[in-house]
Amino acid sequence: MADVLQQVVSGIASGGVYALLALALVLIYRSTGVVNFAQGEMAMFSTFVCWELLDRGLPYWVAFFLTLAISFVGGVLIERLVIHTVSRSQALTVVTVTIGLLILLNGAAAWIWKGEQRTLENPFPSDTFDVGGVVIAAQDLGIIGVSLAIVLVLWAFFQRTRVGLALRAAALNPASSRLHGVRVSWMLALGWGLAAVLGAVAGILVAPTQGSFDQNLMLPVLIFAFAAAVLGGLDSPIGAVVGGVVLGVVLNLVGAYIDFFADLRLPAALLLILGILLLRPNGLFGRSVVKRV
Amino acid sequence: MRVLGVLALALALSTGAASARPSADPGISASEIVIGGTVPLSGIAASYASVGRGAEAYFKYVNARGGVNRRKITYKYVDDQYNPAQTVQAVRQLVQQDRVFAIFNSLGTEHNLSVRSFLNATKVPQLFVGSGATTFGRDYKRYPYTIGFLPSYIGEGKVYARQILKTKPNAKIAVLVQNDDYGKDLLAGFKAGLGAKRKNLVAEQSYDALSTDVSSQIARLRSSRATVLLLITTPPFAIRGLVAANRLGWRPQVYVNQVGSATNIMRIISATANPRIIEGAITLISIKDPLMPRFKNDAGMKLYRTIMRQQLPRGDVNDGFHVYSMAVAYTFVEALKKAGRSPTRASLVRAVANLNLRNNPFLLPGVVVKTSSTDHFPLDQGQLQRWSKNQWNPLGKIVSAKP
Amino acid sequence: MTAFRYALRVFGFVLFVAIVVYLPFRISDFRASEFALIGIYFIAILGLNVLTGYTGVISLGHGAFMALGAYTTAILVADHGMRDLWTIPLAGLLAAAAGAAFGLPALRLSGPYLALTTFGVAVATPIVIKKFDGLTGGSGGINLFEAEGITGLPEFIVTLPGGKVLSFNDWLYYLAWTIALVLFAVAWAIHHSHFGRSLRAIRDNEIAAAASGVWLASHKTLAFSISAFYAGVAGSLLAIWAFSVQPGAFPVDRSIALLVGLAVGGLGSLAPLAAGAAFLVFLPQLAQGISKAPGVPAVIYGAVLIALMIVLPMGVGGLLRWITGPLTSRLYPRS
Repeated sequence: MADVLQQVVSGIASGGVYALLALALVLIYRSTGVVNFAQGEMAMFSTFVCWELLDRGLPYWVAFFLTLAISFVGGVLIERLVIHTVSRSQALTVVTVTIGLLILLNGAAAWIWKGEQRTLENPFPSDTFDVGGVVIAAQDLGIIGVSLAIVLVLWAFFQRTRVGLALRAAALNPASSRLHGVRVSWMLALGWGLAAVLGAVAGILVAPTQGSFDQNLMLPVLIFAFAAAVLGGLDSPIGAVVGGVVLGVVLNLVGAYIDFFADLRLPAALLLILGILLLRPNGLFGRSVVKRV
Repeated sequence: MRVLGVLALALALSTGAASARPSADPGISASEIVIGGTVPLSGIAASYASVGRGAEAYFKYVNARGGVNRRKITYKYVDDQYNPAQTVQAVRQLVQQDRVFAIFNSLGTEHNLSVRSFLNATKVPQLFVGSGATTFGRDYKRYPYTIGFLPSYIGEGKVYARQILKTKPNAKIAVLVQNDDYGKDLLAGFKAGLGAKRKNLVAEQSYDALSTDVSSQIARLRSSRATVLLLITTPPFAIRGLVAANRLGWRPQVYVNQVGSATNIMRIISATANPRIIEGAITLISIKDPLMPRFKNDAGMKLYRTIMRQQLPRGDVNDGFHVYSMAVAYTFVEALKKAGRSPTRASLVRAVANLNLRNNPFLLPGVVVKTSSTDHFPLDQGQLQRWSKNQWNPLGKIVSAKP
Repeated sequence: MTAFRYALRVFGFVLFVAIVVYLPFRISDFRASEFALIGIYFIAILGLNVLTGYTGVISLGHGAFMALGAYTTAILVADHGMRDLWTIPLAGLLAAAAGAAFGLPALRLSGPYLALTTFGVAVATPIVIKKFDGLTGGSGGINLFEAEGITGLPEFIVTLPGGKVLSFNDWLYYLAWTIALVLFAVAWAIHHSHFGRSLRAIRDNEIAAAASGVWLASHKTLAFSISAFYAGVAGSLLAIWAFSVQPGAFPVDRSIALLVGLAVGGLGSLAPLAAGAAFLVFLPQLAQGISKAPGVPAVIYGAVLIALMIVLPMGVGGLLRWITGPLTSRLYPRS
């Protein structure tokens, strides 16, 4: 039994990692309507920025918050300089631009930081607790805690602040928002900036769980984060966390206890997601959009 | 109408005219020999780019000192994005367009497999393949133009099995293995080496290179109550595996395969997990590691650092792939010297199968590169190392890693 | 369409064919192999266009259908001694069946959910191929080079009356482009058929299309299936072209690349998609020709792609439409 519980616990921990990046995907989808393929690489790049700042001797939390600020500016700039210029085009063009960003940022990080394995400090205590033979790490609790906190902050932001409301409005109906005095294009830039900040948090917290990182830190995570976001509902922050955790746990249990799926963890998870989507086409927590003809 | 533009573009791109077919072997003149290879320079395996750059740096160093028989070595390495279909494309380009003399130092098992038949049919040497897959050394009768370099994975697996049987004959063993040919090959060698003690291997878990972590696999392995853990993994997964084991408080005797055991990787594990989890870990090494303190004043490593400083100043001196690729490049240069004053592809292949090099400055002292008409494993020796005091320390003599 | 424009199109197509036939006489042996690859990508992108261009559904999973086609050919040729040519239609049909089987349920999903589900399929493909190694040869794949059913081995040399030597690369070129031209004509026919118009109606307004009597599910599934057929044929040709298949040849990047090729060629265009295919083959080469420093080729590739999308948001096809379209549409662009 302890073995099974251990798999569940480690699945929850992996789920927390997926959830962090999935939250950034959800934020950007909700506030700009874009599925951002470069989200993982933006997070990876921020992680390197943080590493660089620490390497130059800044204290951890100074580097942490400075990275968030830099990431915010970076996200806004990406929207202003790149996404904005194609935002009136078809969806395929925007998707292709984010793919271009993915390739570019990955290459830039490999170029600047030479593709070496780097290590990043773990902000959480490195303690582990043994609960009846099941080992729980403080780091994993920290990551789950942070993702839940982000869900609360996002909820408060979208539901309780004027800016959050304007962001949602700008994404849902740009034309009528503009008539109501919302500066739509700046709202979209804000959405990208905030998503970049969330991505930075994800990268900085995820990198230590991997022991070391290089420019490929987020490529596999992005796959699972997409799966988590789709499972939970692309527009639902809590869905991202639940989706991530369900995904993590299912992957572990299926992989560990059904021999046939030991090598097929990822395909098994995708089958599960497809099944759930057929029952709930907008994910577990997503809302369906009613279209006007 | 709109097709016209496309056609104009297609024509504009296709201006390369057919080149004349020379009578002698292509890629060689009185002043130059052109060789080529594929290396991932972009994509998920871009960290292996040093395998191309290190060899290039060594050739530049040799060229600066007059080349081989007054011939300069030009090494064209092309990005295949670690995708075997791209390797096919790149190798056709090298052979048919750039008309290289030989393919050299291409990286990856599947990638070299995808062009092996083509290169042998067109009689282009496929030299010192960057993979330990046993087939590259074993199947020389069918593919005489192909030869590997690294100790075969099967041989390496056998060495670990012998060491475990010698030191802990009854220990339960767990294995974490990558789910591809490299992993399967090494595991097969390990099982063959265990022989009658196969039942000691109590747990096997595999992972895909697209995974984010392996904590689930490690938890399963731990619950088998094994006391020995063999990691058949690339560096990132050696790190993740041991970080996960450490968190679970599992302290097995660790064996790490050569692919994942560079000193800088071990130091990362030591720093991020716990120095104790790898204290006493064992690996097989054939190539000098730039971070081994005992080679600080070694002539070979001094040469290595000089070449890095002169030819590849932006490269990371501590990256062991640079040393590896210079070891391969050194072997190529020595083979080329033996291939006669006017080498042909056939004479080079003969020379490559007739090596006996005792002084490769980049290999561990005592490791001999030896081939014959029936032995196509150039590097089939290594030395077990034991990790303590934050470095690898030799454990016993040079051993054979024949498959 | 006026008779004049119709004649112009026929003339354009004939010219296209003429140039395809003549090209190997002008280019080197290796370039023929490269242009064969462009033809293969062209087929796959044409197929993706049937789906994305006409129904608006973005698929990130067409690499999976290519893999299915490639393995169909490889297994039939290597294990069952079939001649490579006959496996090509079978590969397409199998992929089409798989496309229908996947499309029927999946097309219930809305845009981004469907796109990301297909993305998942692309990610899972190499892992599944590796798992069933008895059939697929595992990560090392299947070598077709020594199989009997392969037509164009390197020994393949035919000397034409004019003195032109046809090598195996030329054979691969003509094979790929013959099929590409046939499938191009099919795509053109689809575009101008009632079915094609219904599909575009779905893209422009799903609800309105349904209200006017278009049966969404069957149309979308059929479009998915047709596009999978194209991908399967392209995959089959890729196996013949490379004399081998491996799971590593079908990473998720492959599916993404097809989408990039479609965007560069121009969504909803036909012939300009060949430019998208050429982009996929030539840009990585150009990028590493500029610099081989780690990461720099990727920076160049990404930057060029982004710049291209900013300058030509509708791809090469959009540019050509703009050039060749009537002046009025330039002054008053329809979105």
